[in-house]
Amino acid sequence: MPRLTARSLALLPLAFLAVLLAAPVLRLLAEGFGAGDLAGGVVPGEPLRWLALWQDDYLRWRVVWSFLQAAITCVLALLLGLPVAWVLARREFATRALVLRLLMLPFVVPTLVAALGVLALWGPRGWLGAPLAEAGFSLEETPWLLLYGNLFFNLCLVVRAGVDALEQVSAPRVAAARTLGATPWRAFWRVEWPAIAPWLASALCLVFLYCFSGFGLALILGGQRYATVEVEIYTLVAYELALGPAGVLALWMLGLTGSVALGYAWLEKRLAAPGRVTPMARTRPRGAAQWLAVWAAVAVLLLVCAAPLIAILGQAARAFWQGQGAAVLGEPETLAALWNTLRFTAMALLLATGLGLSHALAVRAFDSAGSARGSGVADGAWALLWRAAAYLPFVVSPVTVAFGLLLLYPGWTASLALLIGAYALLAYPFVAKSLMAALDNLPASYAQAAATLGARPWRVLWRVTLPLVGKALRRGMAFAAATALGEFAVTLFLSRPEWTTLTTLIYQRLGRPGGANLDAALVLACVLMALALLAFTLIEGPGDDADPATKVRSM
Amino acid sequence: MLEMRDIHKQWDHRPLLAGVSLRVPAGETVALLGASGSGKSTLLKIAAGLEAPDAGSVWFDGVDITALAPERRGFALMFQDFALFPHLNVTDNVAFGLVEQRVSKAQARERALAMLLRFGLGAHADARIWTLSGGEQQRVALARALITQPRALLLDEPFSALDTTLREQLRSEFRERILEAGMAAILVTHDEVEARAMARRAWGVRNGGLVPLW
Repeated sequence: MPRLTARSLALLPLAFLAVLLAAPVLRLLAEGFGAGDLAGGVVPGEPLRWLALWQDDYLRWRVVWSFLQAAITCVLALLLGLPVAWVLARREFATRALVLRLLMLPFVVPTLVAALGVLALWGPRGWLGAPLAEAGFSLEETPWLLLYGNLFFNLCLVVRAGVDALEQVSAPRVAAARTLGATPWRAFWRVEWPAIAPWLASALCLVFLYCFSGFGLALILGGQRYATVEVEIYTLVAYELALGPAGVLALWMLGLTGSVALGYAWLEKRLAAPGRVTPMARTRPRGAAQWLAVWAAVAVLLLVCAAPLIAILGQAARAFWQGQGAAVLGEPETLAALWNTLRFTAMALLLATGLGLSHALAVRAFDSAGSARGSGVADGAWALLWRAAAYLPFVVSPVTVAFGLLLLYPGWTASLALLIGAYALLAYPFVAKSLMAALDNLPASYAQAAATLGARPWRVLWRVTLPLVGKALRRGMAFAAATALGEFAVTLFLSRPEWTTLTTLIYQRLGRPGGANLDAALVLACVLMALALLAFTLIEGPGDDADPATKVRSM
Repeated sequence: MLEMRDIHKQWDHRPLLAGVSLRVPAGETVALLGASGSGKSTLLKIAAGLEAPDAGSVWFDGVDITALAPERRGFALMFQDFALFPHLNVTDNVAFGLVEQRVSKAQARERALAMLLRFGLGAHADARIWTLSGGEQQRVALARALITQPRALLLDEPFSALDTTLREQLRSEFRERILEAGMAAILVTHDEVEARAMARRAWGVRNGGLVPLW
C-alpha cells in the first residue's frame, strides 16, 4: 500500500489521539509544572512543586503504596500463575478447554462488579468475611481486599500468557536437553524458562500497569489507608478542587507508568516473531501426584477467579428473592441508566471500531511500504511509532485522561461528544491491538495475489483482508464493548446527572446508607455483568472456529 | 512481449538489481535461477507491479506499464505458498479474478467449475482449501491464475513446497497448460532441473545482473 494511503489511514486516529490524549496530557504537564502550590509553588530556594510531593508524608505513602500493591500483585500472580499455566499447557484433561475459555471471564467483568464480588466474598457481610469478622478478623482497612481484587483480574492474564508461552517451547529442544542428561526440572530451568521468561515479563508489565493505575478496585476496596494515587487524584479534583496537587500526582503517575510501558513495548517487540515450533505434546495425568497438580491448579483458579463471581451471584440472588433488590429493576432511574449504558456503549463501539481499523491498517501499510524498500527506515520507524501509539491509551490512566480533559476543555465537560470520545479512546486500543496481531500473521501474499488477480486496494481489503482478520476484529470489538460497558472513572469525571450509567448508579447506591441500597447495588452489578457477557458473546461469536488463515498455515 | 528495461533496485541501502534487462516473447517461458536473496523474486514482483523499481521501466507490447497498478496489468503471479484464500472454497478461489473483472458471481462460478473439471479437480469444487493435498492446492492456484486469461504468468518457485515425485508430475502438466495458453511466462526457481524442464531460455541472477545460462 502506498505511503500516502498509510498516512491518510493514520490521520483519523492521529487527530483523535492528539485532541483527546496528547493535548490533555500536555495541559496536565502545564498544570503540574506551573504555579500554584503543593508546598508553596515555585519559590526560589524551595523545591520545585513536582518534587515537593516526596516531602508530603501522606502523598508519598499514596505513591509508595500504589507501587507496592502493584509489585506484590505481580509476585503473587507469578507464583500462583506459572504452576497453573504449566499444568494447563502440559496436561490433557476433560475440562481443560473449558477452563481455558473461562480464563477470559475476568477480562470481560467490569471493575465495579469485580469489586462487589470481592466484597460479597470477603466483605463484612460476605460469605467468608462475615464468619471471619465474627471470629475477630476483620479484613476491612487491610490491604488484602485490594490485593485479592487485583489477583482476580490479573491471575488469568498471567496464566494465559504462561500457557501461550509454554506452547511456544520447542519440543525437540527439550528432548535434546533430556538426552543430554537434564532431569525434567533442569530441562525446565535451562530450556523452558529462558524461552517463556520474556512472555511472562511482558504479562507482568501489563499486570503492573493495570494495578498501578487502577481506579475502580482501589476506590471500593482500598478504604482510607490503602487507596491508590488514582483515587487520590479523583478525591483531590472532585471533593477538594485541588487541581494543582492533582496535576502533580498525575504527572508522577504518567512518568512511572510510561517507564513500565516502555519496558512492555520493548518486550513485545522481542516477542513479535516467535517463529514456528513443534510444541510439546500434552499428556494425560498419570498417578496421584499429577492428578493432584491438576486439581490444585483448578482449585487456585476457582478460589481466585471464580469465587467472587459465584459470591456476587449468590448474594444478588438472596437480595433479589429475600431482600429488597428486585424493586430496583423497575425503577425509572435504573431503566434510564440501562438505556444510557447501552447507547453510550454502542456509540463508543462504533467509533472505536473505525479508529482501531484505521490504526491497524495504517501500521500494516507503513510496514508494507518499509519492507518494499528493504530497510525502509522512515516507514519502519513510522510503523514502530504508530504501533506503540496504539498502547498510549493503556499507559495513560482513565483518571489522568478524564482529569486532563476536564482541565483542557472546561466548557465541554458536559458534552456527550467528549464523553463518547473518551469512552472510544479507552476502548479502541483493544480493536487496534487485536487487528495488528492478526494482520502481522497474515501472509502478504494473500493481498498480493488478490491484487494481481485484478482487485483494487479497497476490494482487497473487503474481499480478502477483512474476512481473514474478521475473527480478530470481532474479538477486539468484544473487548472494546466490555470496556465501554464497564467504564467508570471517565464517567465519574465527565458525566452529567441525567447520563448516569449502570456503573455510576451502582457506585451511587453503594454510597447511600442501608441494606436496601447494598441489595440494589448487588442486583445491578449482576445485570451489568450479564450485559457485559452477553455483549462479549454476541460480538465475538463462536469461540471454537479457528482463524482460517491459521488453518492453512498449520497444514 | 513482456520487457524489463534497465531495472535498478536497492535493498537495505545496497544494490540488489543493477541495470537488469529482460525480454520474454508471448508463448515463451524463461527461467531465472539464483541463490536466496539474489533478487530474482524481487524482479518478479517488479514485473507484477507489487514493487516499484528505483529506476528502469517495465513494458508490455510496447506500452510502458511501470506506473500501472498490479490489478490493471492483467498478469497472474503464482506464489511459493500458493496464497489461496482460506476463507473461500475452491470454486470461489478460482472465480476470484473473474468477479474482479465484473463477471457475475453465478457466471464466474460456472466458469470456475468448468476450469476445475479440466484440471481434474471437479470433485473438490466445494472443498475448503486446507482439506486439499499440496498438489491439489497447486493445481487450484494455477487454475485461478489462468482463468482470467492473463497476458503474462509469473511463477515464484511454484513447486518448492511439494515433494520430488509430485514436483516432476506437475512440471510437465504446467508446461503443457502454459504452452496451451500461449502467454509470456517467467519462472523463478533455484532448481536447475526444474528450469530445464520448463523453460527454453534461462538466466542466472548474480551480483545484481543477469547471466545467460542457456
